[in-house]
Amino acid sequence: MDHKTHEDHIYIEALLKNDSRVLSKIYMNFSHKIVSFVKKNSGNADDAQDIIQETLVTIYHQAKEKNFILTCPFDAYFFLLCKRKWLNELKKRGNNRVTIVEEITSITEEQNQQVEETELFEKKYQLFESKFKELGKKCQELLKVTFKIKSMEEVAKFLGVSYGYARKKKSQCMGKLTQLVKSSNEYHHLKA
Amino acid sequence: MPEERYIKFEQYLNNELSKEDLKFFEEQLKSNTDFKEDFEIYIALEFSLGAKFKNEEEEIKLRKTLTDLGSQHIKQDENTKKETKEISLFRYRNLMIAASIALLIGFFIYNNGNPVYSDFAKHNALELVVRGENNEVVSKAESAFNSKNYKEALKQLSILSNSYPNDSEINLYLGICQLELNNYVEAEIVFNEIIEGNSAFETKAKWYKALTFLKQKKYNESKEILKTIPESAEEYQQAKKLLRKL
Repeated sequence: MDHKTHEDHIYIEALLKNDSRVLSKIYMNFSHKIVSFVKKNSGNADDAQDIIQETLVTIYHQAKEKNFILTCPFDAYFFLLCKRKWLNELKKRGNNRVTIVEEITSITEEQNQQVEETELFEKKYQLFESKFKELGKKCQELLKVTFKIKSMEEVAKFLGVSYGYARKKKSQCMGKLTQLVKSSNEYHHLKA
Repeated sequence: MPEERYIKFEQYLNNELSKEDLKFFEEQLKSNTDFKEDFEIYIALEFSLGAKFKNEEEEIKLRKTLTDLGSQHIKQDENTKKETKEISLFRYRNLMIAASIALLIGFFIYNNGNPVYSDFAKHNALELVVRGENNEVVSKAESAFNSKNYKEALKQLSILSNSYPNDSEINLYLGICQLELNNYVEAEIVFNEIIEGNSAFETKAKWYKALTFLKQKKYNESKEILKTIPESAEEYQQAKKLLRKL
């Protein structure tokens, strides 16, 4: 492990290992503050539970795909992510007129950077996911199978098509998806 | 034309381009920004979707854990805090009673000829990596444990465990103390937690869980756990030896 890794990285590892004992510490130590923030800002305990879970799942994906390393304390990082996620959710619900009750948290540059890294990861992840759903059913199925079964020979066998056809279809579907992402507004926002 | 491009991407990712094609491909990456942009998106998609679908089942399991923990810590916090505490204490007591009855039955059923706990209970000396403020507690715990004063060691290790609740090594030795003091239920709980936590002490915890059963003369349970110790583990030889006698 890198020397910059913060000791709270145990929580990220716990997500990767589905270690319920350590994960319960996250709920014990950090959820209270988030629940009270959500409640003060037109939400309830269920909302808070969802926000916490979705944030943790995002961190899990980031750690799994990008080997995310936590270099700052988990507390402020996690709280800020949950807080911004809840504010976004409120916006989505059209709840623009609520006054936000701020919690006083001091944020270091490092923490801010990690929060933004995670948010950027999440936005990309969601963009890819939503564009994937715009593909035709056939393409979705084929890609799902290719990513689950690594060998294209087995994919072809599984789908009952020839190897050459399966490969050609895969690159076609991926090409289509690339175009969908490339032409979306979100992608250009992310790039900027 | 673009379709051709994606076939090339696929070949590139699979290392299937000939030397010439590869050279041409890399030149295009440098000179053609549209080509490069497509390629970057293609790769990002490949990684993101690849990870997503590969980890789908793992994600479902994680979500289940989180939902359980969320309901436990957030929803129950809302109303039934007191109630659950009482229930779990009550269940705990029943467990203890059940365990001591099992112990008594075990005592009557089995006689000589079976392996004995003390033949296998050879603990490694406790040498914790020293950590900042708790130096004094660490050395007290070490000297108590290493001189077999398990009651005192348990006390010191409990203090440490409060400061480092996720430290599997501290918890393992805590469990050993409980086992030495014949607090089987507590010992088993600690070992189970370590086993479920996937730490480096997983097989050690399994070994000690097996010993916990052995000490209670629950030979069958002990056997079942010993069988799960992998050949590659440090404890495998001991486990094999004990299995033979059981």
